[in-house]
Amino acid sequence: MRPAARRLIAALVLALVATACGGGSDDPNDDVENSSARLNLDAELRIGFTEDQYILEGPDANLGAYPANTNVVETLVYLNDRYEVVPRLAESWEFRAPNTWRFHLRRGVRFHDGQAVNAQTIKTGLFDRVAAKRNGGTIRATPQSAVVVDDYTIDYTASVPNLRVVEQLVHPQNGAIAPGSDHGTKPVGTGPFRFVDYRPKERITVERNEDYWGEKALLRRLTFRFFPDRNARLLALQAGDIDLAYEIPRDDVAGLESRGFTIAKSTVGAYRAIFMNSYGDEPYDILRDVNVRKAIAMGIDRKKHVDGVLSGLATTDQTFVPPAALGAAASVVKGHTYNLNEARRLLDNAGWRAGSDGIRVKDGRRLKLELVSGFPSAEVIRPSPTFLQAELKNLGIELEIVERPDSASFQDLMGRKQGDLFIEDGNQNDANVGFLPVLLLYTGAGSSGTGVYQGISAPGPRFNQLIEPALTEPDHARLQQIVATAMNEAITEQTTVMPLNGVFRIYGMKSSVTGFVPHPSFLNVSWLGVGVTGG
Amino acid sequence: MSGYALRRVVLMVPTLLGLSFLAFGLANLAPGDPAYQYLTRVLNQPAPAAEVERVREELGLDRPLVTQYVDWLGDALRGDLGVSYATRRPVATEIGHRIPYTLQLAIPAALLALMIAVPAGVVSALYRGRLPDHVMRVASLAGASLPSFWLALLLILFFAVHLSLVPVAGRGGIDSYFLPTVTLALGPAAVLARFTRSTMLEALGDDYVRTARAKGLPARLVVARHALRNALIPVATDFGTRLAHLVAGAVIVETIFVWPGLGKLTLDAVTERDFPMIQGMVLFAGVTVAVINLLVDLSYTLIDARVRVGTKAVAA
Repeated sequence: MRPAARRLIAALVLALVATACGGGSDDPNDDVENSSARLNLDAELRIGFTEDQYILEGPDANLGAYPANTNVVETLVYLNDRYEVVPRLAESWEFRAPNTWRFHLRRGVRFHDGQAVNAQTIKTGLFDRVAAKRNGGTIRATPQSAVVVDDYTIDYTASVPNLRVVEQLVHPQNGAIAPGSDHGTKPVGTGPFRFVDYRPKERITVERNEDYWGEKALLRRLTFRFFPDRNARLLALQAGDIDLAYEIPRDDVAGLESRGFTIAKSTVGAYRAIFMNSYGDEPYDILRDVNVRKAIAMGIDRKKHVDGVLSGLATTDQTFVPPAALGAAASVVKGHTYNLNEARRLLDNAGWRAGSDGIRVKDGRRLKLELVSGFPSAEVIRPSPTFLQAELKNLGIELEIVERPDSASFQDLMGRKQGDLFIEDGNQNDANVGFLPVLLLYTGAGSSGTGVYQGISAPGPRFNQLIEPALTEPDHARLQQIVATAMNEAITEQTTVMPLNGVFRIYGMKSSVTGFVPHPSFLNVSWLGVGVTGG
Repeated sequence: MSGYALRRVVLMVPTLLGLSFLAFGLANLAPGDPAYQYLTRVLNQPAPAAEVERVREELGLDRPLVTQYVDWLGDALRGDLGVSYATRRPVATEIGHRIPYTLQLAIPAALLALMIAVPAGVVSALYRGRLPDHVMRVASLAGASLPSFWLALLLILFFAVHLSLVPVAGRGGIDSYFLPTVTLALGPAAVLARFTRSTMLEALGDDYVRTARAKGLPARLVVARHALRNALIPVATDFGTRLAHLVAGAVIVETIFVWPGLGKLTLDAVTERDFPMIQGMVLFAGVTVAVINLLVDLSYTLIDARVRVGTKAVAA
């Protein structure tokens, strides 16, 4: 038996003996104390993460922050698991027209190297650092953007009208680093954990910050181990080499639960969607017809997809912004209801009639489409394409599946418009609900979009008109309404994008792990309240 | 001998030149824009089109392919393999960092493969058509046929999950070497065992072995001194090729076992469309194969006296 297992058993035995020998008490505080006593404050949590993708050089260096967030670095504001922006290093903030945000900083906070957090160190360690990034990062910072107002007040003005700054600042790439420290070799932040050691492609270790400004972390140490192979990650959890694993494959959830592991499912933070090539040239021009696009959207039973393919671990939401982020406005996005008869009628009206083998034909041309899969990888998307193939056959559409080995070759085909349908998994990692629709679909004035997605799926001028106010709308509820209305245009009216499902983040852990909050954006997992019971 | 080695080294130059051109061409033919990949990673979002063009200029990807290749070759000849698009670190430094990790697996795996293959092949040949031979042939067929990713997971399941004898993955104590080494070794061991068997059978049927037996030499000496020594020459060649493959990096095994070696580096480079790294790795792999083949050829002189005599005769 391995030493770790021996220690665990010994601790459990001791805990049992202690429980058996302990007497009763009427003191209500005893419950709290006993509860705390069960937590091992000297514990190390070993976490199985996916791939090590830290950048170690230059202004984009992000060791310990992104994508594996070790909680060494903190942001001014935090994205909670309900997609709400809550205070962190900034206690409050306010908008000052026309394009400035004023942040009031928390007092009494220090970086791990002892430097005080104040307006000057936040200017240097956050805003000026981000300004050195290409285009000034997502918040579009310049060296002149941050202005110190007083010791604990700082103004930020983006280089372009950008009222989404606060929502964007939740991203761990926009964390505060101690001035003079190197984010690529030894990140010095303000977080509840401080950096200890990093072995590229293997692990990163952090330990509790005993001088943390808030409530201290319950764990003494966190070790993030990188497992690019999901099967190896799963087996490491089963073998006891790690205590908690990210991204548990849906097929393995039931098996893990039956072995006594705890499964934590987040709310929807990711999506599986199909981008339709609405501007293709022959032979990829069939989906230029909006009726064919709508017929496809109506001909797919999303519930069956969730239950049969995604093991029930998804929702039938038809947005690619998490419904929680859209708030009450989520209901504005209608999407398409499964209706085979209506779908068939639309295809009939579009001139596509059933051929001898059941596949529809128009002017001698078969209704044959290519579905390209490969983002983030074809393996992750499987077996959804096969399900769609069967569903579309019911409509008289022949679907050929084209699997690409990686996202680069997937997006290459998309950029060249070589394919009819492009299926992918995406996610939302900040609180800016307008981020994805603008980035992927907006083609209006000042568009800084990818061009790749717009090239096949831009919904058109009405969408642009609807989404444009999202860039400059200060009120969050109003913003949600704007984005939802624009998304409805893209998804329901133009149907250039067809969200299939909202997807949960799935984490697996030993039953001894307590207090873990499954965050829908895995970049923002907080380890502060996580503990381990036993020895 | 030194003249022969020098000739071989000189011959390596056109080989590596051709290889570098092939690597460059293939990398550029692969779908996917390195500028887009790089930006998407750095920006943490799909890259804007205008920015992609700017990065293409910065990385020199807007120049004609021939210019890019000639520039790269010129730098490579001066020992500069360029800077990785993904990590922004010199390619040579990145490769240098990863070599020890790969060697930590490749050398024990190669030795283990040899330790399994040669005895198994010899026993199989000596017991031709009998139970040990059948067992070895079935085992080697299985070993050669099993995909390494499947074998790796199977070994993890048995030794790490069920028996808790070793960790699932990652570098650590000596026990962490067991699974990746065995996974890496079994494939080459299986093929080498079959190869040893066939060369051994051939040697056992040769006249000099029959003569040795006729002279009354004990069977053990006939096998060890006469048959095996000659049978090992082609085995050494095959072993050299397999060793070169191991040193060049084991992509799947390093990925599954979280081993930060050259195989994982190559896989990441391909995924990121990190052209300088891909080219650097192909060049490194080419040099490794060529050098190991040269060493294997030179080792013939130790194994086979005829090679030594032949060399001297030519020299005389």
